[in-house]
Amino acid sequence: MSPSWDLHVSNVLADGDGHRVAHDWFPGRLPSNVILGRDVYIDTTYGFTTFASEQQPGLVLGDATGAYDRASFVVGPRGRVTVGAYTVLNGIYIVCQERVEIGSHALLAWGAVITDSWCAGDVPGAATIEARRAVLRAAAAHPDRQLPALDVPRPVTIGDNVWVGFDAVIMPGVTLGRGCVVASKCVVTEDVPPYAVIAGSPPRIVRMLEADDTPAARQAAFARYGRA
Amino acid sequence: MSAPDPSPMTIPSQPSQARVHPIVAGATIPGDWYPGRVPENVVAGSGSVVDSTFCFKHYYATGAAAGLRTGVDVTLWRTSIAPDRDAVIEIGDGSYIANASLVASERITIGARCLIAGGVTIADADFHPLEPAARLADSIALSPAGDRTSRPPMDIRPVVIEDDVWIGWNATILKGVRVGAGAIVEPGSVVTRDVAAGSRVSGNPARPVSP
Repeated sequence: MSPSWDLHVSNVLADGDGHRVAHDWFPGRLPSNVILGRDVYIDTTYGFTTFASEQQPGLVLGDATGAYDRASFVVGPRGRVTVGAYTVLNGIYIVCQERVEIGSHALLAWGAVITDSWCAGDVPGAATIEARRAVLRAAAAHPDRQLPALDVPRPVTIGDNVWVGFDAVIMPGVTLGRGCVVASKCVVTEDVPPYAVIAGSPPRIVRMLEADDTPAARQAAFARYGRA
Repeated sequence: MSAPDPSPMTIPSQPSQARVHPIVAGATIPGDWYPGRVPENVVAGSGSVVDSTFCFKHYYATGAAAGLRTGVDVTLWRTSIAPDRDAVIEIGDGSYIANASLVASERITIGARCLIAGGVTIADADFHPLEPAARLADSIALSPAGDRTSRPPMDIRPVVIEDDVWIGWNATILKGVRVGAGAIVEPGSVVTRDVAAGSRVSGNPARPVSP
């Protein structure tokens, strides 16, 4: 099967039987249901050892998006992750059983977890001991010890130009509005409005930013770096 | 970028790649990316697996007693098993530990059917004394020129995680804590005190929340 993506200036190498990453220290391959835009960078296939999506595509990384420092994709068979262009996935951990959508120009820092599934108390039965035991029994019976969804997944949406600090956790069902900032270590369980800055435990809005990331500002930024 | 193809496609067969391997004391793992071995004094029940011997990079238990003892069907994935010289880490049947760090100076006990998620740290000590003069001495004992066997005393209190406990991403469980059976520790929590059985805690410091 021919590659399903457009290889341009990228460190991903087509080699007939899956795809490799140049200078990869881990002896793995990229799954075949990953679609990459131009100029995508992936530092290692180590981040894909738990990628079990059976969707077409299971992961889309837009133009010039980078997955650095062992960014890991823990994706179940029904999971689908899409990421826009010019987004920095720096050592993050995406746990997706159904749907995680990340916009363009987002900056996501190390240790941050984005998940659409946890044992929520508001999903009837999901947090009962018996339901939890069933999840672990299913994992033990799976040859790769794949964990099934911990409860009914609720999709997560991260808007364009969002900045998430290190070790933050973005919980199921959350939408992060365009341009917002999540401070390090925040555990986000509720939607964040566009251009809000949140911090603390539990997180609170500490500031509102000016929405100055206009189309003109974007164009000027591209021009500045010769990408017009 | 190319648009996702909406038409049905067959998924090409992936090269088969066992992602976990039985834990066998003293053994290497075939195809392991890390050139290590499972330590000799590990005692693992049947069906207990690990993804790589990298999990044992900070395994310092050198005594005759087991530094890690697991029940059956335990899954250790990208998890740092770090018992100090005479420390013991015990993990009960069917527990699943993914991308966590278990750092023990004396003892960490994890019950059966626990789920411990990514970024979690469980530690039974602070690993350094609190008092400035003692810390100064510790820095010398730990130095390349020092003697690690004669470090100043520090506060060590074993951790117990009882059966059926789930611990969410990036949570921290500190020394002396007992997490009661069936409790849920929400992601990002910093647990400094005991957690009642069947309860759900959240925040820093972790406090009970309604389920």
